[in-house]
Amino acid sequence: MIDPTATLLTDHRVVACLGPGGVGKTTLSAALALGAARRGARALVLTIDPARRLADAMGVAMGPEPTEVSRAELAALGVREGTLHALMLDSKHTFDGLVERFARDPATRERILSNEIYQHVSDALAGSSEYSAMEKVAELASRGDFDVIVLDTPPSAHALDFLEAPERLLGLIDSQFARRFLHPAMSAGRFGMRLLQRGTEPLFRAVERITGLRFLEELSEFLLIFEEMSQGFRERADDVQALLFGPRTGFVVASGPGPTQVAQALALEKRLDEMHARVRGFLVNRVRTWPRGVRGETPDERAWDTLAPALVSSGLDDPIAHAAATSTRRAFESYAAWARRDAEATSALEHRAAERGAFLRRVPERVGDVHDLAALTGVESDLFARNDREESR
Amino acid sequence: MPDRRSLLDRRLLIVTGKGGTGKTTVVAALALAAHERGLRVGVIETGRESQIPGQFGHTLPDPGYAGCALPEGPWTRRMEPYAALAEYLRLQLRIPGLVTRLLDQPAFHALLDAAPGWRELITLGKVWHLEQARERDGSPSWDLLIIDAPATGHGLTFLDVPRVVVGAVRAGPLNRQVGLVEGMIRDPEHTLLLPVTLPEELPVRETLELVARARDEVGIALDRVVVNACVEDRWPLPPATLAGHLEALPGAALEGRALAHAVTMLGSRSTRQSEALAHLSQSTPLPLVRLPQLVGPPIGSEALRTLGRALVTEEPAR
Repeated sequence: MIDPTATLLTDHRVVACLGPGGVGKTTLSAALALGAARRGARALVLTIDPARRLADAMGVAMGPEPTEVSRAELAALGVREGTLHALMLDSKHTFDGLVERFARDPATRERILSNEIYQHVSDALAGSSEYSAMEKVAELASRGDFDVIVLDTPPSAHALDFLEAPERLLGLIDSQFARRFLHPAMSAGRFGMRLLQRGTEPLFRAVERITGLRFLEELSEFLLIFEEMSQGFRERADDVQALLFGPRTGFVVASGPGPTQVAQALALEKRLDEMHARVRGFLVNRVRTWPRGVRGETPDERAWDTLAPALVSSGLDDPIAHAAATSTRRAFESYAAWARRDAEATSALEHRAAERGAFLRRVPERVGDVHDLAALTGVESDLFARNDREESR
Repeated sequence: MPDRRSLLDRRLLIVTGKGGTGKTTVVAALALAAHERGLRVGVIETGRESQIPGQFGHTLPDPGYAGCALPEGPWTRRMEPYAALAEYLRLQLRIPGLVTRLLDQPAFHALLDAAPGWRELITLGKVWHLEQARERDGSPSWDLLIIDAPATGHGLTFLDVPRVVVGAVRAGPLNRQVGLVEGMIRDPEHTLLLPVTLPEELPVRETLELVARARDEVGIALDRVVVNACVEDRWPLPPATLAGHLEALPGAALEGRALAHAVTMLGSRSTRQSEALAHLSQSTPLPLVRLPQLVGPPIGSEALRTLGRALVTEEPAR
């Protein structure tokens, strides 16, 4: 039987994992990359992750270049041919890096780095870390050091920010508003806010009335210098768009098992579809489900009454056996309720997956957190498990 | 009662937490509790879709920026940054035609699309504006405002924007107004940040980072941490041992493996929970409020009422 997860990784250069916050995208991405390595690929997982979760899980450091996960450790997990690298971009420094690279000369670079607006906004500049990540993906994909790059998308307010980031940055530079209202000031130089005396731009004056003149002066300079870097940006942004929306990239949408997360995942898939992104599959993480061959039917009262005596005959002392029976029943009822809810909530994803010919993988909730490679292997086996395994409940 | 103030004595509660922590459930429960104590309470949602009505089990039309009252009483509204900006500019410029011209410019939108921080700023500005609103008799239009803060990276960027803007825009009306917003956020009598977390390792670690940054960088008051979705963690014998007994159950009346699986999963969860709670209480002096795990949404008003009571009346243990 063809494993759609394996196919996803062999068919694409970049596999982008998107989903609402808190569903475990980082773990799923790392497990996908591990699975690719197990199948002989040179795999890289790339994340922008302030919490350093992936680094912890994989035992690698955060840095601007890919770090290889110890081959000895991989071999111990049965990975022989492939390799696994991880790259964790620290979003804090990404924008300075862009300025370094695209500034025309050292003087421009200094001017931009010392611009007050830049200093205040560079950390927060819309999509800057996302843009840098995308650029890094394009660069790495073109280098050919890796067969597949799994992209763990950043925990942005809106999961699509990273796709739209290049456009938005260019939007800032290209902005007609910037040209019309700030450019004359910019051309006139730092002290030449003659624009104001012209008195022909009520809109400019309207904005100025709120923000103050000094802010607009700084903004002018910021945009002016920024514009100088725009050519470099533009070329790279085109590369990034071509990569992400071309045949080399496949998207998977990650979700949690709850109705809210499922609804968010479906909304995300819809928007990706509108953007003509190639959505290949859905991954549902931490689903409460019964192991294969277990029915999980709710016992009736008479059956429950047999539990305490049965525990006594299995060797528990009487008072403990009764308490244990109560705890067991409570645990069962709670887990069964969650299993029912998860099955119900994720069926919507299943329908959508079938409708669009994408695959769906449910990753059962695990015993214990995933914070080492061995635990990651467990997630991996669920992601790549054959179709008939967990679907049969 | 004498020393510790109830959550509902504040004017503004900012509920924060990563996606999936149940932040919105906490917001809904607090709003219901406040309303039932006779307070005029308004919820401000910051997501793209309104989720508060769903918590009560309602499928209402989106309350939008204007907001609507839920059948249970509390108001909810969803922030729409552009609508809020238009409102703000109208108040500032007092020339309606000018605002329309500005907002109709595609170029202005392009600039806004790329500009950082203004959405957060305008949201907080609107909150300030609601907080300032007065009835004819001079009483506040809203006794309590609850923000369901965005579930971004570390939830604080949202609150840090005013400080950054006051630094960047050093004069003019904007500076002054943002200064007022910043003052509101930092007034401990007035505003409280309520972090919601889960009893698991990573959420707890992130919450500890958030608590530290909230104090050191943003300067906002916190007085408790809500730990949501706690399971029963007392077992008469270790769950693994119990699961062993269950696996080996004789007879067909009970499905031993199903019982064992449920006990193993719940047992694992309660072990992780104990570790996480121990880590949390060792690392912060803030009291913890534990909320039970509920199956939802919808949580439903009955369960929300129970949660609200736990949040509001229960004196968190030190």
